[in-house]
Amino acid sequence: MDRFIAELGLFAPAAVFNIYFALASIPLGFVLAVFLALGKASDNRLINRLSRGYIYAFRGSPLFIQFFMIYSLALSFNVAVWKPMGMSWWVLHPLFIGPLVLVLNTAAYTAEIFYGALRAVPRGEIEAARAYGMSRVQQFRQVIWPNLIRLAWPAYTNEVVFLFHATAIVYLALPVIGQQKDLMITAKELFERDYNAFLHFSVAALYFLAVSLVVFFLFGLVYRRLMRHMPAIPRMRYAPTWWR
Amino acid sequence: MSDDFAFWLSYLTNGKHLTWYASFQFTIFAAAFGGTLAVIFGLIGATLKNSRFLTLRVIGTIYSSIVRGVPDVLFFLFFPLAFEQGVEWLIATQVCSPEMIAAQSAAWPPCKDANWFLGTPEYLVLASVSLGLVYGAFATNVIHGALRSVPQGQLEAARAYGMSANQVLWRVQIRQMWVYALPGLSNVWMLIIKATSLLSLLQIADIVLWADRLGAPNFLPAVGLVHADWRWRYYLVLFVFYILITWISEKSFDAIMRRAGRGILSEAR
Repeated sequence: MDRFIAELGLFAPAAVFNIYFALASIPLGFVLAVFLALGKASDNRLINRLSRGYIYAFRGSPLFIQFFMIYSLALSFNVAVWKPMGMSWWVLHPLFIGPLVLVLNTAAYTAEIFYGALRAVPRGEIEAARAYGMSRVQQFRQVIWPNLIRLAWPAYTNEVVFLFHATAIVYLALPVIGQQKDLMITAKELFERDYNAFLHFSVAALYFLAVSLVVFFLFGLVYRRLMRHMPAIPRMRYAPTWWR
Repeated sequence: MSDDFAFWLSYLTNGKHLTWYASFQFTIFAAAFGGTLAVIFGLIGATLKNSRFLTLRVIGTIYSSIVRGVPDVLFFLFFPLAFEQGVEWLIATQVCSPEMIAAQSAAWPPCKDANWFLGTPEYLVLASVSLGLVYGAFATNVIHGALRSVPQGQLEAARAYGMSANQVLWRVQIRQMWVYALPGLSNVWMLIIKATSLLSLLQIADIVLWADRLGAPNFLPAVGLVHADWRWRYYLVLFVFYILITWISEKSFDAIMRRAGRGILSEAR
Protein backbone atom coordinates (compact mmCIF):
# COMPACT_ATOMS: atom_id res chain seq x y z
CA MET A 1 0.00 0.00 0.00
CA ASP A 2 2.84 2.39 0.86
CA ARG A 3 4.40 1.44 -2.42
CA PHE A 4 1.19 2.28 -4.22
CA ILE A 5 1.00 5.75 -2.66
CA ALA A 6 4.68 6.39 -3.42
CA GLU A 7 3.92 5.34 -6.98
CA LEU A 8 1.05 7.82 -7.19
CA GLY A 9 3.50 10.56 -6.18
CA LEU A 10 5.99 9.42 -8.83
CA PHE A 11 3.40 9.70 -11.55
CA ALA A 12 2.00 13.10 -10.56
CA PRO A 13 4.62 15.22 -12.38
CA ALA A 14 4.25 12.96 -15.41
CA ALA A 15 0.50 13.54 -15.53
CA VAL A 16 1.19 17.28 -15.86
CA PHE A 17 2.61 16.66 -19.35
CA ASN A 18 -0.48 14.79 -20.49
CA ILE A 19 -2.70 17.50 -19.08
CA TYR A 20 -0.56 20.17 -20.74
CA PHE A 21 -0.87 18.46 -24.13
CA ALA A 22 -4.63 18.24 -23.79
CA LEU A 23 -5.09 21.79 -22.50
CA ALA A 24 -2.83 23.25 -25.17
CA SER A 25 -4.68 21.56 -28.01
CA ILE A 26 -8.33 21.77 -26.95
CA PRO A 27 -9.01 25.52 -27.53
CA LEU A 28 -7.23 25.75 -30.89
CA GLY A 29 -8.73 22.48 -32.05
CA PHE A 30 -12.17 23.77 -31.11
CA VAL A 31 -11.81 26.98 -33.12
CA LEU A 32 -10.30 25.20 -36.11
CA ALA A 33 -13.08 22.61 -35.98
CA VAL A 34 -15.80 25.27 -36.16
CA PHE A 35 -14.25 26.67 -39.34
CA LEU A 36 -13.77 23.19 -40.82
CA ALA A 37 -17.37 22.24 -40.07
CA LEU A 38 -18.62 25.45 -41.68
CA GLY A 39 -16.29 24.75 -44.59
CA LYS A 40 -17.70 21.26 -45.02
CA ALA A 41 -21.21 22.72 -45.09
CA SER A 42 -20.17 25.58 -47.40
CA ASP A 43 -21.58 26.05 -50.89
CA ASN A 44 -18.22 27.17 -52.24
CA ARG A 45 -16.91 24.14 -54.10
CA LEU A 46 -13.25 24.74 -53.36
CA ILE A 47 -13.71 25.36 -49.62
CA ASN A 48 -16.09 22.43 -49.41
CA ARG A 49 -13.69 20.02 -51.14
CA LEU A 50 -10.72 21.18 -49.10
CA SER A 51 -12.36 20.85 -45.71
CA ARG A 52 -13.96 17.53 -46.65
CA GLY A 53 -10.59 16.18 -47.78
CA TYR A 54 -8.84 17.43 -44.66
CA ILE A 55 -11.42 15.90 -42.32
CA TYR A 56 -11.38 12.61 -44.21
CA ALA A 57 -7.59 12.38 -44.27
CA PHE A 58 -7.08 13.10 -40.59
CA ARG A 59 -9.94 10.88 -39.44
CA GLY A 60 -8.91 8.08 -41.76
CA SER A 61 -5.29 7.74 -40.70
CA PRO A 62 -3.73 6.81 -37.36
CA LEU A 63 -2.56 9.57 -35.04
CA PHE A 64 0.67 7.62 -34.59
CA ILE A 65 1.49 8.01 -38.29
CA GLN A 66 0.46 11.66 -38.23
CA PHE A 67 2.95 12.29 -35.44
CA PHE A 68 5.78 10.63 -37.34
CA MET A 69 4.86 12.32 -40.59
CA ILE A 70 4.64 15.86 -39.28
CA TYR A 71 7.66 15.50 -37.04
CA SER A 72 9.83 14.15 -39.86
CA LEU A 73 8.50 16.85 -42.15
CA ALA A 74 9.50 19.48 -39.60
CA LEU A 75 12.90 17.81 -39.27
CA SER A 76 13.52 17.89 -43.01
CA PHE A 77 13.05 21.68 -43.00
CA ASN A 78 15.45 22.07 -40.11
CA VAL A 79 18.68 22.79 -41.97
CA ALA A 80 17.08 25.02 -44.61
CA VAL A 81 14.55 26.98 -42.59
CA TRP A 82 14.40 26.58 -38.82
CA LYS A 83 18.10 26.66 -38.07
CA PRO A 84 18.96 29.85 -40.01
CA MET A 85 16.00 31.57 -38.40
CA GLY A 86 17.05 30.32 -34.96
CA MET A 87 13.67 28.68 -34.42
CA SER A 88 14.64 25.03 -34.26
CA TRP A 89 14.82 24.97 -30.47
CA TRP A 90 11.07 25.42 -30.21
CA VAL A 91 9.72 24.25 -33.59
CA LEU A 92 11.20 20.78 -33.12
CA HIS A 93 10.40 20.58 -29.40
CA PRO A 94 7.88 17.87 -28.45
CA LEU A 95 6.06 20.40 -26.31
CA PHE A 96 5.32 22.30 -29.54
CA ILE A 97 4.98 19.50 -32.12
CA GLY A 98 2.83 17.42 -29.75
CA PRO A 99 0.02 19.96 -29.37
CA LEU A 100 0.37 20.92 -33.05
CA VAL A 101 -0.38 17.39 -34.27
CA LEU A 102 -3.06 16.90 -31.63
CA VAL A 103 -4.75 20.11 -32.78
CA LEU A 104 -4.70 18.98 -36.42
CA ASN A 105 -6.09 15.59 -35.41
CA THR A 106 -8.76 16.67 -32.94
CA ALA A 107 -9.91 19.47 -35.26
CA ALA A 108 -10.86 16.86 -37.86
CA TYR A 109 -12.77 14.67 -35.40
CA THR A 110 -14.47 17.65 -33.75
CA ALA A 111 -15.34 19.16 -37.12
CA GLU A 112 -17.15 15.96 -38.05
CA ILE A 113 -19.15 16.17 -34.81
CA PHE A 114 -19.96 19.84 -35.40
CA TYR A 115 -20.89 19.15 -39.00
CA GLY A 116 -23.34 16.47 -37.88
CA ALA A 117 -24.81 18.88 -35.34
CA LEU A 118 -24.96 21.66 -37.94
CA ARG A 119 -27.10 19.46 -40.17
CA ALA A 120 -29.33 18.60 -37.24
CA VAL A 121 -30.15 22.24 -36.44
CA PRO A 122 -33.94 22.55 -36.93
CA ARG A 123 -34.66 24.05 -40.34
CA GLY A 124 -37.70 25.91 -39.07
CA GLU A 125 -35.61 28.00 -36.69
CA ILE A 126 -33.25 29.05 -39.47
CA GLU A 127 -36.22 29.93 -41.69
CA ALA A 128 -37.76 31.94 -38.88
CA ALA A 129 -34.47 33.80 -38.44
CA ARG A 130 -34.40 34.53 -42.17
CA ALA A 131 -37.99 35.72 -42.01
CA TYR A 132 -36.96 38.20 -39.32
CA GLY A 133 -34.48 39.60 -41.81
CA MET A 134 -31.36 38.52 -39.94
CA SER A 135 -28.08 38.69 -41.81
CA ARG A 136 -26.09 35.49 -42.23
CA VAL A 137 -23.73 36.43 -39.41
CA GLN A 138 -26.68 37.19 -37.15
CA GLN A 139 -28.32 33.89 -38.10
CA PHE A 140 -25.18 32.04 -37.17
CA ARG A 141 -24.61 33.83 -33.88
CA GLN A 142 -28.21 33.99 -32.68
CA VAL A 143 -29.71 30.76 -33.98
CA ILE A 144 -27.35 28.24 -35.51
CA TRP A 145 -24.48 28.37 -33.04
CA PRO A 146 -26.53 27.96 -29.82
CA ASN A 147 -28.36 25.01 -31.36
CA LEU A 148 -25.18 23.50 -32.74
CA ILE A 149 -23.21 23.60 -29.53
CA ARG A 150 -26.07 22.08 -27.52
CA LEU A 151 -26.48 19.24 -29.99
CA ALA A 152 -22.75 18.60 -30.25
CA TRP A 153 -21.77 18.94 -26.59
CA PRO A 154 -22.16 15.30 -25.41
CA ALA A 155 -20.22 13.99 -28.41
CA TYR A 156 -17.64 16.74 -27.98
CA THR A 157 -17.16 15.66 -24.37
CA ASN A 158 -16.30 12.18 -25.60
CA GLU A 159 -13.90 13.65 -28.13
CA VAL A 160 -12.09 15.61 -25.42
CA VAL A 161 -11.69 12.44 -23.35
CA PHE A 162 -10.35 10.63 -26.41
CA LEU A 163 -7.98 13.51 -27.01
CA PHE A 164 -6.71 13.12 -23.48
CA HIS A 165 -6.24 9.41 -24.09
CA ALA A 166 -4.42 10.24 -27.32
CA THR A 167 -1.83 12.25 -25.40
CA ALA A 168 -0.46 8.84 -24.30
CA ILE A 169 0.99 8.45 -27.80
CA VAL A 170 2.88 11.76 -27.94
CA TYR A 171 6.14 10.62 -26.37
CA LEU A 172 5.95 7.17 -27.95
CA ALA A 173 6.37 8.92 -31.30
CA LEU A 174 8.44 11.99 -30.38
CA PRO A 175 11.82 12.09 -28.62
CA VAL A 176 11.83 12.39 -24.84
CA ILE A 177 13.94 15.37 -23.75
CA GLY A 178 15.59 15.03 -20.35
CA GLN A 179 13.15 14.51 -17.53
CA GLN A 180 10.09 15.54 -19.56
CA LYS A 181 8.29 12.21 -19.32
CA ASP A 182 4.57 11.68 -19.57
CA LEU A 183 2.55 8.88 -17.94
CA MET A 184 3.29 6.22 -20.55
CA ILE A 185 7.05 6.82 -20.61
CA THR A 186 7.17 6.84 -16.80
CA ALA A 187 5.25 3.57 -16.64
CA LYS A 188 7.50 1.99 -19.27
CA GLU A 189 10.71 3.10 -17.57
CA LEU A 190 9.60 1.91 -14.15
CA PHE A 191 8.52 -1.37 -15.72
CA GLU A 192 11.92 -1.86 -17.31
CA ARG A 193 13.50 -1.32 -13.89
CA ASP A 194 11.59 -3.85 -11.77
CA TYR A 195 9.24 -5.64 -14.21
CA ASN A 196 6.13 -4.99 -12.14
CA ALA A 197 3.68 -4.44 -15.00
CA PHE A 198 0.58 -4.64 -12.83
CA LEU A 199 1.57 -1.86 -10.46
CA HIS A 200 3.03 0.68 -12.89
CA PHE A 201 0.52 0.35 -15.67
CA SER A 202 -2.46 0.36 -13.31
CA VAL A 203 -1.28 3.57 -11.68
CA ALA A 204 -0.92 5.20 -15.12
CA ALA A 205 -4.37 3.88 -16.04
CA LEU A 206 -5.76 5.27 -12.80
CA TYR A 207 -4.49 8.75 -13.67
CA PHE A 208 -6.10 8.53 -17.10
CA LEU A 209 -9.37 7.35 -15.58
CA ALA A 210 -9.31 10.08 -12.94
CA VAL A 211 -8.71 12.88 -15.41
CA SER A 212 -11.38 11.44 -17.73
CA LEU A 213 -13.88 11.55 -14.87
CA VAL A 214 -12.93 15.15 -14.09
CA VAL A 215 -13.47 16.03 -17.76
CA PHE A 216 -16.87 14.34 -17.73
CA PHE A 217 -17.81 16.23 -14.57
CA LEU A 218 -16.69 19.66 -15.82
CA PHE A 219 -18.23 19.22 -19.24
CA GLY A 220 -21.40 17.96 -17.57
CA LEU A 221 -21.58 21.24 -15.65
CA VAL A 222 -21.22 23.20 -18.88
CA TYR A 223 -23.90 21.03 -20.45
CA ARG A 224 -26.26 21.79 -17.57
CA ARG A 225 -25.61 25.48 -18.14
CA LEU A 226 -26.17 25.15 -21.89
CA MET A 227 -29.45 23.32 -21.25
CA ARG A 228 -30.70 25.59 -18.46
CA HIS A 229 -33.77 26.59 -20.48
CA MET A 230 -35.00 23.00 -20.60
CA PRO A 231 -37.53 21.81 -18.03
CA ALA A 232 -35.69 18.53 -17.45
CA ILE A 233 -31.97 18.43 -18.16
CA PRO A 234 -31.21 15.61 -20.58
CA ARG A 235 -28.80 13.24 -18.88
CA MET A 236 -25.30 13.12 -20.16
CA ARG A 237 -23.71 9.74 -20.65
CA TYR A 238 -20.72 9.35 -18.40
CA ALA A 239 -18.75 7.02 -20.61
CA PRO A 240 -16.91 7.32 -23.88
CA THR A 241 -18.87 5.54 -26.57
CA TRP A 242 -17.65 3.99 -29.79
CA TRP A 243 -18.04 7.42 -31.35
CA ARG A 244 -14.59 7.81 -32.71
CA MET B 1 13.83 9.65 -68.69
CA SER B 2 13.74 5.88 -69.09
CA ASP B 3 17.02 5.71 -67.18
CA ASP B 4 15.38 7.59 -64.33
CA PHE B 5 12.46 5.23 -64.43
CA ALA B 6 14.69 2.17 -64.37
CA PHE B 7 16.67 3.68 -61.50
CA TRP B 8 13.64 4.34 -59.33
CA LEU B 9 12.15 0.97 -60.20
CA SER B 10 15.29 -0.79 -59.05
CA TYR B 11 15.53 1.40 -55.96
CA LEU B 12 11.95 0.61 -55.00
CA THR B 13 12.48 -3.12 -55.50
CA ASN B 14 15.75 -3.52 -53.60
CA GLY B 15 15.94 -5.98 -50.75
CA LYS B 16 15.09 -3.54 -47.99
CA HIS B 17 12.04 -2.27 -49.83
CA LEU B 18 10.85 -5.80 -50.51
CA THR B 19 11.11 -6.52 -46.80
CA TRP B 20 9.06 -3.39 -46.19
CA TYR B 21 6.36 -4.58 -48.60
CA ALA B 22 6.41 -8.01 -46.97
CA SER B 23 5.92 -6.45 -43.53
CA PHE B 24 2.44 -5.31 -44.57
CA GLN B 25 1.40 -8.90 -43.80
CA PHE B 26 1.85 -8.20 -40.08
CA THR B 27 -0.48 -5.21 -40.23
CA ILE B 28 -3.07 -7.09 -42.24
CA PHE B 29 -2.87 -10.16 -39.99
CA ALA B 30 -3.23 -8.05 -36.84
CA ALA B 31 -6.23 -6.21 -38.25
CA ALA B 32 -7.99 -9.39 -39.44
CA PHE B 33 -7.28 -11.52 -36.38
CA GLY B 34 -7.79 -8.65 -33.95
CA GLY B 35 -11.05 -7.70 -35.63
CA THR B 36 -12.38 -11.25 -35.43
CA LEU B 37 -11.41 -11.50 -31.78
CA ALA B 38 -13.02 -8.13 -31.07
CA VAL B 39 -16.35 -9.41 -32.39
CA ILE B 40 -16.00 -12.62 -30.36
CA PHE B 41 -15.08 -10.72 -27.18
CA GLY B 42 -17.88 -8.29 -27.95
CA LEU B 43 -20.40 -11.14 -28.18
CA ILE B 44 -19.10 -12.63 -24.92
CA GLY B 45 -19.15 -9.24 -23.21
CA ALA B 46 -22.67 -8.47 -24.40
CA THR B 47 -23.86 -11.89 -23.23
CA LEU B 48 -22.30 -11.22 -19.83
CA LYS B 49 -23.93 -7.80 -19.69
CA ASN B 50 -27.31 -9.32 -20.56
CA SER B 51 -26.90 -12.17 -18.09
CA ARG B 52 -29.47 -12.90 -15.39
CA PHE B 53 -26.73 -13.35 -12.79
CA LEU B 54 -25.55 -10.18 -11.11
CA THR B 55 -21.89 -11.27 -10.91
CA LEU B 56 -21.65 -11.93 -14.64
CA ARG B 57 -23.44 -8.68 -15.39
CA VAL B 58 -20.99 -6.78 -13.18
CA ILE B 59 -18.03 -8.47 -14.87
CA GLY B 60 -19.34 -7.54 -18.31
CA THR B 61 -20.00 -3.94 -17.30
CA ILE B 62 -16.61 -3.54 -15.62
CA TYR B 63 -14.82 -5.02 -18.64
CA SER B 64 -16.48 -2.68 -21.11
CA SER B 65 -16.21 0.47 -19.02
CA ILE B 66 -12.68 0.08 -17.62
CA VAL B 67 -11.07 -0.88 -20.90
CA ARG B 68 -12.79 2.01 -22.70
CA GLY B 69 -11.86 4.43 -19.94
CA VAL B 70 -8.14 3.79 -20.43
CA PRO B 71 -6.08 4.77 -23.51
CA ASP B 72 -5.89 1.95 -26.04
CA VAL B 73 -2.07 2.23 -26.22
CA LEU B 74 -1.77 1.61 -22.51
CA PHE B 75 -3.80 -1.59 -22.56
CA PHE B 76 -2.22 -2.61 -25.85
CA LEU B 77 1.23 -2.47 -24.23
CA PHE B 78 0.14 -3.82 -20.86
CA PHE B 79 -1.59 -7.01 -21.95
CA PRO B 80 1.30 -8.73 -23.82
CA LEU B 81 3.76 -7.79 -21.06
CA ALA B 82 1.45 -9.03 -18.32
CA PHE B 83 0.64 -12.22 -20.22
CA GLU B 84 4.33 -12.96 -20.81
CA GLN B 85 5.02 -12.44 -17.10
CA GLY B 86 2.09 -14.63 -16.12
CA VAL B 87 3.37 -17.49 -18.26
CA GLU B 88 6.90 -17.04 -16.92
CA TRP B 89 5.59 -17.10 -13.37
CA LEU B 90 3.74 -20.34 -14.14
CA ILE B 91 6.89 -21.89 -15.61
CA ALA B 92 8.85 -20.66 -12.60
CA THR B 93 6.59 -22.49 -10.18
CA GLN B 94 7.40 -25.69 -12.07
CA VAL B 95 11.08 -25.51 -12.96
CA CYS B 96 12.76 -23.17 -10.46
CA SER B 97 14.47 -24.57 -7.39
CA PRO B 98 15.20 -22.27 -4.41
CA GLU B 99 18.94 -22.27 -5.25
CA MET B 100 18.23 -21.13 -8.80
CA ILE B 101 16.01 -18.31 -7.51
CA ALA B 102 18.74 -17.25 -5.08
CA ALA B 103 21.29 -17.28 -7.90
CA GLN B 104 19.17 -15.02 -10.13
CA SER B 105 20.36 -11.41 -9.94
CA ALA B 106 17.89 -9.73 -12.32
CA ALA B 107 14.44 -8.70 -11.12
CA TRP B 108 12.68 -10.94 -13.64
CA PRO B 109 12.28 -13.83 -14.49
CA PRO B 110 12.52 -15.63 -11.11
CA CYS B 111 15.17 -17.98 -12.49
CA LYS B 112 16.98 -18.23 -15.80
CA ASP B 113 15.17 -21.37 -16.95
CA ALA B 114 11.79 -19.69 -16.57
CA ASN B 115 12.58 -17.19 -19.32
CA TRP B 116 10.07 -17.30 -22.16
CA PHE B 117 11.55 -15.86 -25.32
CA LEU B 118 9.02 -14.20 -27.60
CA GLY B 119 9.71 -13.80 -31.31
CA THR B 120 7.78 -11.80 -33.88
CA PRO B 121 5.02 -14.41 -34.46
CA GLU B 122 4.31 -14.73 -30.73
CA TYR B 123 4.24 -10.97 -30.24
CA LEU B 124 2.01 -10.62 -33.27
CA VAL B 125 -0.54 -13.07 -31.85
CA LEU B 126 -0.35 -11.37 -28.44
CA ALA B 127 -0.78 -7.96 -30.06
CA SER B 128 -3.83 -9.20 -31.96
CA VAL B 129 -5.36 -10.66 -28.80
CA SER B 130 -4.65 -7.37 -27.11
CA LEU B 131 -6.37 -5.46 -29.92
CA GLY B 132 -9.28 -7.89 -29.64
CA LEU B 133 -9.56 -7.29 -25.91
CA VAL B 134 -9.43 -3.50 -26.19
CA TYR B 135 -11.85 -3.15 -29.08
CA GLY B 136 -13.95 -6.06 -27.83
CA ALA B 137 -14.93 -3.68 -25.04
CA PHE B 138 -16.17 -1.19 -27.64
CA ALA B 139 -17.88 -4.01 -29.55
CA THR B 140 -19.52 -5.15 -26.31
CA ASN B 141 -21.33 -1.85 -26.09
CA VAL B 142 -22.33 -1.90 -29.74
CA ILE B 143 -23.64 -5.46 -29.62
CA HIS B 144 -25.34 -4.89 -26.28
CA GLY B 145 -27.24 -1.98 -27.80
CA ALA B 146 -28.00 -3.92 -30.99
CA LEU B 147 -29.43 -6.89 -29.07
CA ARG B 148 -31.89 -4.51 -27.47
CA SER B 149 -32.84 -2.94 -30.79
CA VAL B 150 -34.30 -6.17 -32.18
CA PRO B 151 -38.08 -5.56 -32.22
CA GLN B 152 -39.85 -7.20 -29.29
CA GLY B 153 -42.53 -8.56 -31.62
CA GLN B 154 -39.97 -10.79 -33.32
CA LEU B 155 -38.94 -12.33 -30.02
CA GLU B 156 -42.55 -12.77 -28.91
CA ALA B 157 -43.40 -14.45 -32.20
CA ALA B 158 -40.45 -16.82 -31.75
CA ARG B 159 -41.61 -17.66 -28.24
CA ALA B 160 -45.14 -18.19 -29.50
CA TYR B 161 -43.74 -20.78 -31.91
CA GLY B 162 -42.54 -22.66 -28.86
CA MET B 163 -38.82 -21.89 -29.12
CA SER B 164 -36.76 -22.23 -25.98
CA ALA B 165 -34.91 -19.21 -24.59
CA ASN B 166 -31.67 -20.36 -26.19
CA GLN B 167 -33.33 -20.89 -29.51
CA VAL B 168 -34.85 -17.42 -29.39
CA LEU B 169 -31.44 -15.97 -28.61
CA TRP B 170 -29.48 -17.81 -31.29
CA ARG B 171 -32.02 -18.19 -34.06
CA VAL B 172 -33.80 -14.86 -33.84
CA GLN B 173 -32.12 -12.27 -31.66
CA ILE B 174 -28.49 -12.72 -32.72
CA ARG B 175 -29.43 -13.32 -36.36
CA GLN B 176 -31.37 -10.06 -36.52
CA MET B 177 -28.96 -8.11 -34.35
CA TRP B 178 -26.29 -7.70 -37.05
CA VAL B 179 -28.25 -5.11 -38.99
CA TYR B 180 -28.35 -2.84 -35.96
CA ALA B 181 -24.79 -3.63 -34.91
CA LEU B 182 -23.13 -3.07 -38.29
CA PRO B 183 -22.80 0.75 -38.19
CA GLY B 184 -21.21 0.54 -34.74
CA LEU B 185 -19.03 -2.40 -35.68
CA SER B 186 -17.80 -0.53 -38.74
CA ASN B 187 -16.68 2.26 -36.40
CA VAL B 188 -14.86 -0.28 -34.22
CA TRP B 189 -13.21 -1.75 -37.31
CA MET B 190 -11.91 1.70 -38.31
CA LEU B 191 -10.44 2.04 -34.81
CA ILE B 192 -8.75 -1.36 -35.12
CA ILE B 193 -7.22 -0.46 -38.48
CA LYS B 194 -5.76 2.69 -36.99
CA ALA B 195 -4.50 0.82 -33.94
CA THR B 196 -2.51 -1.60 -36.13
CA SER B 197 -0.02 1.22 -36.61
CA LEU B 198 1.09 0.64 -33.01
CA LEU B 199 2.58 -2.83 -33.68
CA SER B 200 6.12 -1.46 -33.75
CA LEU B 201 5.78 -0.63 -30.04
CA LEU B 202 5.87 -4.39 -29.38
CA GLN B 203 9.15 -4.98 -31.25
CA ILE B 204 7.39 -6.17 -34.40
CA ALA B 205 9.23 -5.07 -37.56
CA ASP B 206 6.07 -3.69 -39.12
CA ILE B 207 5.49 -1.10 -41.84
CA VAL B 208 6.13 1.85 -39.51
CA LEU B 209 9.49 0.53 -38.32
CA TRP B 210 10.62 -0.19 -41.89
CA ALA B 211 9.46 3.21 -43.11
CA ASP B 212 11.65 4.73 -40.40
CA ARG B 213 14.66 2.61 -41.35
CA LEU B 214 14.30 3.18 -45.10
CA GLY B 215 13.81 6.91 -44.77
CA ALA B 216 16.64 7.54 -42.34
CA PRO B 217 19.41 9.62 -43.97
CA ASN B 218 22.20 7.56 -45.50
CA PHE B 219 25.73 8.85 -46.12
CA LEU B 220 27.48 5.57 -46.91
CA PRO B 221 27.45 4.61 -50.61
CA ALA B 222 28.28 1.03 -49.61
CA VAL B 223 24.97 0.68 -47.76
CA GLY B 224 22.77 1.94 -50.56
CA LEU B 225 21.53 5.11 -52.19
CA VAL B 226 23.00 8.21 -50.53
CA HIS B 227 20.09 10.45 -49.60
CA ALA B 228 19.04 13.00 -47.03
CA ASP B 229 16.28 12.49 -44.49
CA TRP B 230 13.46 10.95 -46.53
CA ARG B 231 11.38 9.71 -43.63
CA TRP B 232 8.52 12.09 -44.28
CA ARG B 233 8.09 10.63 -47.78
CA TYR B 234 7.77 7.11 -46.39
CA TYR B 235 5.38 8.24 -43.69
CA LEU B 236 3.36 10.08 -46.31
CA VAL B 237 3.02 6.76 -48.16
CA LEU B 238 1.75 5.12 -44.95
CA PHE B 239 -0.60 8.06 -44.36
CA VAL B 240 -2.11 7.55 -47.82
CA PHE B 241 -2.13 3.76 -47.33
CA TYR B 242 -4.25 4.05 -44.18
CA ILE B 243 -6.62 6.54 -45.81
CA LEU B 244 -7.07 4.12 -48.72
CA ILE B 245 -7.75 1.21 -46.36
CA THR B 246 -10.30 3.33 -44.51
CA TRP B 247 -11.94 4.27 -47.80
CA ILE B 248 -12.11 0.64 -48.95
CA SER B 249 -13.52 -0.49 -45.59
CA GLU B 250 -16.11 2.25 -45.69
CA LYS B 251 -17.29 1.19 -49.14
CA SER B 252 -17.34 -2.51 -48.17
CA PHE B 253 -19.31 -1.83 -45.01
CA ASP B 254 -21.80 0.22 -47.02
CA ALA B 255 -22.27 -2.74 -49.36
CA ILE B 256 -22.58 -5.22 -46.49
CA MET B 257 -25.09 -2.98 -44.71
CA ARG B 258 -27.18 -2.68 -47.86
CA ARG B 259 -27.16 -6.44 -48.25
CA ALA B 260 -27.83 -7.17 -44.58
CA GLY B 261 -30.65 -4.65 -44.56
CA ARG B 262 -32.66 -6.40 -47.29
CA GLY B 263 -36.23 -7.00 -46.21
CA ILE B 264 -35.92 -4.77 -43.15
CA LEU B 265 -37.80 -1.51 -42.97
CA SER B 266 -35.47 1.31 -43.90
CA GLU B 267 -36.10 3.38 -40.77
CA ALA B 268 -34.75 0.45 -38.75
CA ARG B 269 -31.30 1.10 -40.15
